[in-house]
Amino acid sequence: MFESILLPDLLLLAFPFIVIGSRLFCDFRSAFPWRVANIGFILIFIMLNMIPLASGEGHFFIFNWRLDDFGVLMREVFMVSAILGIWLSKDYFEHGADGKPQMHQIAEYIGAIAFATFGAFTVVSACDLLTFFLGLEIATIPMYALTAWNKKDQMGSEAATKYILMGSVATAFELFGFSYLYGFSGSLFFNDIASAVATNSTSPLLWVSILFLFSGIGFKLTLFPFYTWAPDVYEGAPTPVTAVLSVTSKATAIAFLAVLVFGPLAAVQEQMSPLIALLAATTLLVGNLGALKQTRLRRFMAYSSISQAGYIMIALLGPAEIGKSAIVYYMFIYAVANYLAFFVFGIIGHHREETFASLRGLSKQNPALAIALAIAMFSLAGIPPLAGFFGKFHLFFAGATTGHYFLVAFAVINNVLALFYYIQLIKSAWIDEPEGTLSSLRLNRRQRLIIIMLSIAVVALGFVPFLSNNIFAGFTF
Amino acid sequence: MTLMNCLILAFILFGIGVWGLMRRRHLIGMLISIELMLNAANINFISFAYFSAKDSTAGALFSIFVIAVTACEMAIALAIIVSMYRRYHSLDVEQLRDLHD
Repeated sequence: MFESILLPDLLLLAFPFIVIGSRLFCDFRSAFPWRVANIGFILIFIMLNMIPLASGEGHFFIFNWRLDDFGVLMREVFMVSAILGIWLSKDYFEHGADGKPQMHQIAEYIGAIAFATFGAFTVVSACDLLTFFLGLEIATIPMYALTAWNKKDQMGSEAATKYILMGSVATAFELFGFSYLYGFSGSLFFNDIASAVATNSTSPLLWVSILFLFSGIGFKLTLFPFYTWAPDVYEGAPTPVTAVLSVTSKATAIAFLAVLVFGPLAAVQEQMSPLIALLAATTLLVGNLGALKQTRLRRFMAYSSISQAGYIMIALLGPAEIGKSAIVYYMFIYAVANYLAFFVFGIIGHHREETFASLRGLSKQNPALAIALAIAMFSLAGIPPLAGFFGKFHLFFAGATTGHYFLVAFAVINNVLALFYYIQLIKSAWIDEPEGTLSSLRLNRRQRLIIIMLSIAVVALGFVPFLSNNIFAGFTF
Repeated sequence: MTLMNCLILAFILFGIGVWGLMRRRHLIGMLISIELMLNAANINFISFAYFSAKDSTAGALFSIFVIAVTACEMAIALAIIVSMYRRYHSLDVEQLRDLHD
């Protein structure tokens, strides 16, 4: 029983070694490791989908590895991100793109992504602070290496330097917060911490620790005062790494907060809500204002993902069940829409620079690509028939359930602001006339298939919650 | 020696780390400052484990794990910094100006 439930985790842990090891048995340029990676990731994803969801406490393994429904569904998000991430990366190992040279060592690259995914798995299944901390570190450290993967590109190493300095400071803040939390409760286990928090919720030690924890995770989730590294890193990193960063790393950070806020700190969620609301509101505003004046696509996506983090924070104010379901559901939609946008940008980046100007004339040259881009952008902006609207609706619903109407109204107004810049991007693809002749865009079979698949998914996810039978269990209308 | 003394020591170390991070313009100096901040957290863990915690082995164990994790992080950081150095032939952070708004 337990073995079959743990199988995906164990397989993923062994996976990087299998992929890197498989390179020993084949030619340097062979696609064999990539095929192994595909089969393995898809197998893990299918196995995750077959795990029966257990409501309540979930299944335990050696008392500190827990599989609850939130954990299983977040795992599916991480696996979707890993699979799409390696599909997006494949072309960058075949030729250079966006003025950057070709990347090398695909097996190690996939291994690093698998390690990061395993770290994310650890975060959602931890039951004590030590496992929790290790999970977050395993999820973050490969990201530093991935950012600098293109050794010949100087932007990459600059971005990685900024990222690792900021990331290590974030780790230090978090660790300091953990140490106060340990001192406050006298134990590392979430259950003991939760009972200590419930009995003594005004202790200054607890609140100092919460402040440190929020500033630490604020760096990783790109919340308002700590977001400054994100645009630089997103721009400097190779495009597929930016996509993985904006989905896996963000999902890990939000899962970390969800586990913490709805788990050990559940007793003080009410008192924390002004802090969370303030962070959410400022992050929204800053992300939206920052995105207005961007001209480079990846920098634009960085600001867009900063504001998305603000929207997701709103769900942390809601009751545990509704908040968690809203977060999981939104993460699925965000992952799919974000990857769709990055696939389109990637295809354009293979032939031109990744800027707004390169999108001009796209609707005449390749209407399908322009439609896919419009779907992705409208979904990220939250326009009704698409999945993004339903995701945002549930996030706002979670916030409104506990009476944060002012914040929800502020977020909705901000959404209008966000619509402006998303539509600007669509405008440059559909209306603006190109300057001079356009270089041709060629899509290979894999790219065409993925773009069709993701476009359908972005439209369909809004009303077909097929990925799980109880994703809507938390919503009682 | 009381718990308070240790906590104040850790807090001062953390403060020195933050101050150093802001003042230093040299990448290795910044890494050392980060190391100070992480070790301040370690002192916290050990002093809580020694003086007050119900579960005193957990805190001591945590600090050992932190040391291992820090070593990994520093290994990656140094690798990235070496690739920076090959490009610019200096370790000044002021040269990180190619990526900006």
